Amino acid sequence: MNFFCLGINHRTAPLETREKLWFSEKEIQSVVPSLRQKQINDCVLVSTCNRTELYYTTREGSANGEPLWKRLAEHKQAVGAVREEHLYSIPSLNAVKHLFNVASGIDSMVLGDIQIVSQIRDAYAIARSLSATGAVTNRIFDTALRVAKRARTETEISEGAVSLSYAAAELSSKIFSDLSKRTALLIGSGETGKLTAKHLVGKNIGTLLLANRTRQHAEDLAALLRGRVVDFDRIAAELEAVDIVISSVDAPSYILSEQDLRRAMKLRGARPLFIIDIGVPRNIDPAANSIESVFLHNLDTLNFVIGKNLRRRASEVPKIRRIILGELIQFNRWHASLEANPTIEELRGRLEEIRRQEVEHHLRRFSPDEREEIEVLTKRIVNKILHTPTISLKNGSDTHQTLRDKISLLRHLFGLDRRNSG
Amino acid sequence: MKLPIILCEIALPLLYFATIWVYARAFFSNIRPAERLSTPLLFATLLTHGFYIVMRTAELRHPPITSVFEIFSLMAFTVTLVYACIEWRLKIKSTGYFILILPFFFQLVSSIFIREVSEVPPILQSNLLGFHVSSALLGYAAITISAVYGFLYLMLYHEIKFSRFGVVYKRLPNLEMLERMSFTATLFGFIFLTIAIIAGIVWLPRITQEVSYTDPKLFGTFVIWLIYGAGLAAKRLRHWQGRRMMVLSVFGFATAMFSMTVINIFLSGFHKFY
Repeated sequence: MNFFCLGINHRTAPLETREKLWFSEKEIQSVVPSLRQKQINDCVLVSTCNRTELYYTTREGSANGEPLWKRLAEHKQAVGAVREEHLYSIPSLNAVKHLFNVASGIDSMVLGDIQIVSQIRDAYAIARSLSATGAVTNRIFDTALRVAKRARTETEISEGAVSLSYAAAELSSKIFSDLSKRTALLIGSGETGKLTAKHLVGKNIGTLLLANRTRQHAEDLAALLRGRVVDFDRIAAELEAVDIVISSVDAPSYILSEQDLRRAMKLRGARPLFIIDIGVPRNIDPAANSIESVFLHNLDTLNFVIGKNLRRRASEVPKIRRIILGELIQFNRWHASLEANPTIEELRGRLEEIRRQEVEHHLRRFSPDEREEIEVLTKRIVNKILHTPTISLKNGSDTHQTLRDKISLLRHLFGLDRRNSG
Repeated sequence: MKLPIILCEIALPLLYFATIWVYARAFFSNIRPAERLSTPLLFATLLTHGFYIVMRTAELRHPPITSVFEIFSLMAFTVTLVYACIEWRLKIKSTGYFILILPFFFQLVSSIFIREVSEVPPILQSNLLGFHVSSALLGYAAITISAVYGFLYLMLYHEIKFSRFGVVYKRLPNLEMLERMSFTATLFGFIFLTIAIIAGIVWLPRITQEVSYTDPKLFGTFVIWLIYGAGLAAKRLRHWQGRRMMVLSVFGFATAMFSMTVINIFLSGFHKFY
């Protein structure tokens, strides 16, 4: 199979090199047609922040990778930055397997990160729109997308948060079912706090309040996240109305004491209050966790959640490998049949011709009823003769060379080539 | 007794076992086919059980309340029915295992020990009594379910509060949803207990000239009704919610169990029939 993968990823190259070979959708649309002029039949370029990979088929058997990556580097004006050791070239069925690994998320930088699926889907769609894919490439990418779907639905590879901000948002959704009726308060403007607030906005939080010592910072963020600014000095008073607090302030002592929270909880009744303290040193008195219906968590909790989720994801990898193996076997069978089909059809035609000639030659010796039986009987013999070679050619367990040898031998023994040329 | 009734008595514990097994597989191992199969199997079990109760009532010509084991079967049916209503309404399956384990044991004991009572006292053949008992059982089934949800809430509450993120954290719905499920069940329970008490008051003068409103079981049921009524009022008027309401739900259930067991066994009254 003349299918190859040429790529660069987070394991082979640092970020500053990867970003030089990152292609936007527009750039992919312009570079793919120029690559196809260089002995390339099919061509799909997948580019994300962690990898840029070119999947292609060649007219010849060799990978012919060097001119391709030079062309890619030239396009991005990164010829000096990308060196040969940054690149990998994977041939044949291993390239197909690699694509399946990538699509399923087990090759991602963060195990189970399946954002890559939409990027593969987009890259494939671009290639199709440019008529840069053939039957084999279509089959490979359709299967890769199916592998991704199966990985997502049949395993837990992408379940559970694996970033601090997402873990905080996930914890909140274990307490509240409808965030659109809830109010969150972001104190400070630390990066993780901001990301957590963004996740909460993404989860449709009802109201977002922002407090910062520098009011302008809070106002800038409020404009971005469609929140409302509250005075930093009034944080304790706001606790009566909010359900989620994310605190990420650089402060030498606690900004909310146990007493502040006890007072707030008296006013709130038993309404749960979920607090994420991301500050170092901590912003909220940890003793507040002893108050009924106060759920106070800090960085350690979030790291614990992430560690647990990553271990759970890792335990799903063998299941995905089984899915990939099954799909690879099916693909290989299909591919083998693709190459063997013309020969099988020719052989069937040759045997059928012999059968028909012999039956016609001897037909006069039989009665009309017997002739019908002779037809059925001889056809059955032909089918039985063809059965074993057909299975042998289509079983998909042969290497490419063995399959070619088998086809060549069969064609020679039955004189198929001689007949065609004659 | 007719063959279908005997077959149902054998099949029902097996069906309940299969149902809780499927729910357990879906909960503990997150197996998708098990999750898909769980609801159809639950409804198949419920239909079979409904068919069994109708057949038994028609064949023996009295409601299935003449022995403790008939009551057990009815209890299994009502718990399953109330749970099925909640699952159907809230579309949450992950709590099924914790609820359905109860009807499985009720039905298992019933199927093993149930016998046809040779002489049914006329008092137990009354349809009004059947209605009274069925309502009471539906009420008790609902408060049992409410307590299970309350218990699950408290488990999840502790897992989140003390950062123990185990299978309960992973699979159970969130605290707010568990509270809603418990509240829905409590509401069901309160309505059916009210109906049972009214039906009992209508039925009581028909069976005895000396109506005793100091009967321990009557008193116990009234206390349970008051606890749940007070809980619902506190939620409505004082905005009680969260852990406090769940503790109340578990406490109400414990009182109900005390009423159904200790009072029923050790204190006699006109309410004791077998």
